[in-house]
Amino acid sequence: MKFSTLMTASLLALAAGPAVAQDKTINIAGFGASSGVVGIFGQNSGAAMAAAVEKINAEGGVTLADGSQASLVTTYYDDRCNAEEGISVLRRIASTDALVAVGPTCSNVAEPLFGILQAKVDDAGDTGLQFPVFTDVAIKGGLAGISEWVFRNTPSESTMYDSLFAWIRETHPDAKTIYGGVEEDFAHSRFTWYEVMRKAAENHGFEVVGEAQWLLNDTNFSNQARGMRRAEPDVVAISAHPFTTCGMLREMARQRVEPKVLVGLTSSSSLETLTGCANEAEGIIIPTSFAPVNEGAQSAAAAVVANGGQLDLHSAAAWENIMILKDVIEAAGIEGTDASREEDRRKIRDGLAALTEAPGLLGMNKRMPDGEAVKPYVFVDAENGKWEVLHNPGS
Amino acid sequence: MDYFFFIDLIQSTVDGLLFGTTYALIGIGFTLIFGVMRKLNLAYGAAALAGTYIGLVVFLMFDAHPALVFLASALGSGLIGLVVYLCCFRFTPSNYPMASLLASVGMLLFIDEVVIHASHGLPYPYPSVFRDAIIELGDVWVRGDLLFVFFMCVVAMAALFWLLYRTPLGLATRAVSQQPRAAQLCGIDVTRVNMMTFGIAGVLGGIAGAMTAAAVGVLSPVIAMGLTVKGLIVVVIGGLGSIPGAIIGGLLVGAAENIFLLLRGVTERDIYVMLLLFIFLTLRPGGLFGSAQTRD
Repeated sequence: MKFSTLMTASLLALAAGPAVAQDKTINIAGFGASSGVVGIFGQNSGAAMAAAVEKINAEGGVTLADGSQASLVTTYYDDRCNAEEGISVLRRIASTDALVAVGPTCSNVAEPLFGILQAKVDDAGDTGLQFPVFTDVAIKGGLAGISEWVFRNTPSESTMYDSLFAWIRETHPDAKTIYGGVEEDFAHSRFTWYEVMRKAAENHGFEVVGEAQWLLNDTNFSNQARGMRRAEPDVVAISAHPFTTCGMLREMARQRVEPKVLVGLTSSSSLETLTGCANEAEGIIIPTSFAPVNEGAQSAAAAVVANGGQLDLHSAAAWENIMILKDVIEAAGIEGTDASREEDRRKIRDGLAALTEAPGLLGMNKRMPDGEAVKPYVFVDAENGKWEVLHNPGS
Repeated sequence: MDYFFFIDLIQSTVDGLLFGTTYALIGIGFTLIFGVMRKLNLAYGAAALAGTYIGLVVFLMFDAHPALVFLASALGSGLIGLVVYLCCFRFTPSNYPMASLLASVGMLLFIDEVVIHASHGLPYPYPSVFRDAIIELGDVWVRGDLLFVFFMCVVAMAALFWLLYRTPLGLATRAVSQQPRAAQLCGIDVTRVNMMTFGIAGVLGGIAGAMTAAAVGVLSPVIAMGLTVKGLIVVVIGGLGSIPGAIIGGLLVGAAENIFLLLRGVTERDIYVMLLLFIFLTLRPGGLFGSAQTRD
């Protein structure tokens, strides 16, 4: 009788074991613009995070410090690409059981937001928020240096454009001049032209013969295209988001501006540009840290589509972040209890800081001491309404 | 004066005047509603954009001819105008002007958000006509599509003038605009006139939205705020309640915007346009054609 009772209890315990594990959850919050005119970034990131979490949970979840399994959960918060809302959202996330946040999507949110975090870990005089943030989309360079609680998995635009202009110099030796077009009121576009593209072009011997500026809401580009037409540049680089990129490309076509090489902003290597102006964008070359060039990337892309999003260079980082965080959670010995929350957040921060490389969809991402990443990349161009890999510098 | 600068100045003025007709249409919509109801409908630009999206849906679903797309945009916007009237003006107390004003602000945000959710904020190609047609007058190029935009807007304005000055509905509208109580005593159904005004203004807004999208070749929700702000600037400069004022104001803002862009660059362009607005508000608050006339 005692033996049978023991057996029954053991069987029940065994049966109940996985059920208990299923009850444990680790919360990873996501945040960014999921509404408003740049809401597509957040929608895609949210879908990528959800798809990655689904995959991890289907494979058994994450292993905690006590050897038990926990499933990941994620909630996506909308900051509308507004700095004040972003700060408020992060404070709200920090008040929940979330151990880490993935976001934001906009650089103009990221910069002030990182400023509310503790700048130096263990600085008793700094009362900033102690919460790890692992950025996926906001791409403006060098922002991770603001706080030691910030880590980014965004591609290095400096590296990518430097490599792109070196490649253009090699493949188009007759191209001498470049004309820049920049969406002046968007932090990322502005930074990328003035601090990245222009410098990279000049470093590789291109002469900047002019610059055209416009604003995010502009609908008339005739003045800007006229200046471009007069300068007759060999290369035109457009640092703008899809709506104005399309408007400008149409105006260029109308005014018969036909450069030998057309270069676009990293963020434009998305479905949006092709939806808006596939014909005019034909041939535009963009460096990107994501393209569905291998089985892992293709299956991730399919999973994200099934979750209602699209995988592009931004949302691919959200997918990668979840995968990296799974490894960090398991390696750091996260307990996942209410009592251990502060300690767990710190362990995740330390785990991210300790990484020197992390797996990505295109290969290994290098993790830099300042919290930034150097990611593999390819050059894509728009061909017949699709993004095709034009050149793989790593091959 | 440098030859190219002179050419640029002419080109900027021509482009601005042609594109300014879309501002004029939006301004007319604002002014028409204000003229009849003495109330500002701040949801007007957003309703115009939403109507333009209805045209886009027709285009994407049926690959419709641009003429049909423009028509669907205009009618769609007219329909949304009626909804705005019913939601924000018909039942709000007439002795609290702030009630309808704030309701229209709420409607602006609501429509904007619905459009963004439905479109995911993605830019979509919008059909245009005479896209590649250019009339070359020496070094000055006149865009065929902008000429079409100009022509369409002029036709819409002419139709509006015919409606207002040659039809019983127009007579009723003018009567309500001048003396609503007297008009009511004469047997005019003021509510019906108000509704028709919102519908007509909506159609004009839809044409403006369609022509703006056709000129860019792409439709995006970001256009809404521009339409609203430009429309308000136009009515202040032209004179709130004056249709000729809205036309002149639209052309003036279109040209000024392009000339300031040429002279001062994009970062300062809007500063000077706003300065123009400030000057009018200070020195001529009634605008170019605003009348001091009041009503009961």
